[in-house]
Amino acid sequence: MAIFNLKKREIECKIVYYGPGRCGKTTNLEFIFKSYKKQVRGEMVSINTEGDRTLFFDFLPMGLGKIRGCDVRVQLYTVPGQVKYSSTRKLVLRGVDGVVFVADSLEVRREKNMLSLKDLQNNLKDYGKSIFKIPLVMQYNKRDLAEQGIPLMPLEQMERDLNRQLKVPSFPASAVKGSGVGITLKECLKLTLKSLQKEFKWAQ
Amino acid sequence: MSDFKQQLKALLSEAEIYKGQGLVDEAKAKYQSAATLIRSKENIKNRDSLLSAIETKINQLQKERSAANQAVQSPRLSSKAQNLIKNLFLAADDEGKDDAALEAGIVLAKLGQFDSAITEFNKLIQKDNLRVAAAKNILQCHLAKSSEQEAIDQYQRWMSDDGFPPKQLETIRQYLEEILQQKGVESRLPAPKLEPQDRPAADLELELEKDDEEEFIDITSIAITFESGPHKGKTVEFEVNFQSGNMLSLIISKDEADLLEGLDDGMTLKEIQFFSPIAIFNGSAVVVSKTQIKSGPKQGDYCLDIRITST
Repeated sequence: MAIFNLKKREIECKIVYYGPGRCGKTTNLEFIFKSYKKQVRGEMVSINTEGDRTLFFDFLPMGLGKIRGCDVRVQLYTVPGQVKYSSTRKLVLRGVDGVVFVADSLEVRREKNMLSLKDLQNNLKDYGKSIFKIPLVMQYNKRDLAEQGIPLMPLEQMERDLNRQLKVPSFPASAVKGSGVGITLKECLKLTLKSLQKEFKWAQ
Repeated sequence: MSDFKQQLKALLSEAEIYKGQGLVDEAKAKYQSAATLIRSKENIKNRDSLLSAIETKINQLQKERSAANQAVQSPRLSSKAQNLIKNLFLAADDEGKDDAALEAGIVLAKLGQFDSAITEFNKLIQKDNLRVAAAKNILQCHLAKSSEQEAIDQYQRWMSDDGFPPKQLETIRQYLEEILQQKGVESRLPAPKLEPQDRPAADLELELEKDDEEEFIDITSIAITFESGPHKGKTVEFEVNFQSGNMLSLIISKDEADLLEGLDDGMTLKEIQFFSPIAIFNGSAVVVSKTQIKSGPKQGDYCLDIRITST
């Protein structure tokens, strides 16, 4: 849940990058860290395993400046994607305001995407939130691998698999090259701030 | 032949890319398909050397996988990192702040950072709704450090400092006594003086249990009957070190690491006996993770997390 300081006109919200293991959540944050220096408000913190996989989370604090008279701060998190870190994923999701679901475009990862989205739905439900109501954006990552002849799912199929019911904004991306990363984040921020504006009525 | 070459090249390049992405299972499957393709052609000159090269790649993947499994979960956490974990979760929201603090403490304990975890749980002792859960976790931290006496001393300190309502203290006494009995430690813990309204009334007992703050019954130990692997048919009892709702964490000594061979992530354990201070019952659970503790007094031991699925 976002923290709104009425007196100081400050709002702090939390956006979580969710998705199956190795889909590129950390790569998204790394690109944001490198490319949005003006907005980044500190170091990116990663707690990884020795094999360089996310163990707890990655964390990146950002500041968006003043929006409608309010100083907006954003905390970006990733969850550990591996199935076994279920309890940590749930913990990171606590108090989330917006979600970016990073799906892996590789054909061989089709089922993992679906399982992870289901896992997101269940974890949100445990916090009394609905996946249909929370600000959510889909990112279809690793599109660049098509150039190397690797079988990818067509975007239409990914839409059918993951976004048929949700109908949320979705973007193709290559986090490793940076394409689609910014627009995904901006759309998620737009939806999240709109939802918080409605909740806190701060622009009125 | 050119079709064959193209197919083989495509499979091997796919396997390499999956390997580079850290997708071990997917890479292995492609290498295996490549091997099957080579085996299907008998008139290839360098057939044996190709197969051997692929086998080496598969073996290397398996080695990397087991190294990653061993290395995984318990990094050395600096005090800065520990503070970050606590602060980040505690800052998330005010409503669930106390629950988050409890969970952050459990995370630290599971990583073998028992002293830091005790510090966190001690802060929660002041909160009426979390006092019992925090106290149980403090005792578990002492027990995990192999310090039964410290757990007993801690109970006695609580007993004498008047900070606990007698009913809560009695719950903790029963909990600790049960664990000590299972460990074969002879100890008679002094019981608090209960007010008449706190004394158990047989006809109200079930209702009182329901009203308690605990959603899940406390499990002190479990007995797993292995259904496969090297210990098939064997029943082994494990002590429960930490409990968070239906998640149980068991710390298993490195000397008993062979027991973990039959317990893989995601495996359903259909035959489990759960021992609690008030009852023994049967049920099932799923193995969530097994991790090696990398620092602290339990360095080298393993933490096995299982989730109760039915009782």
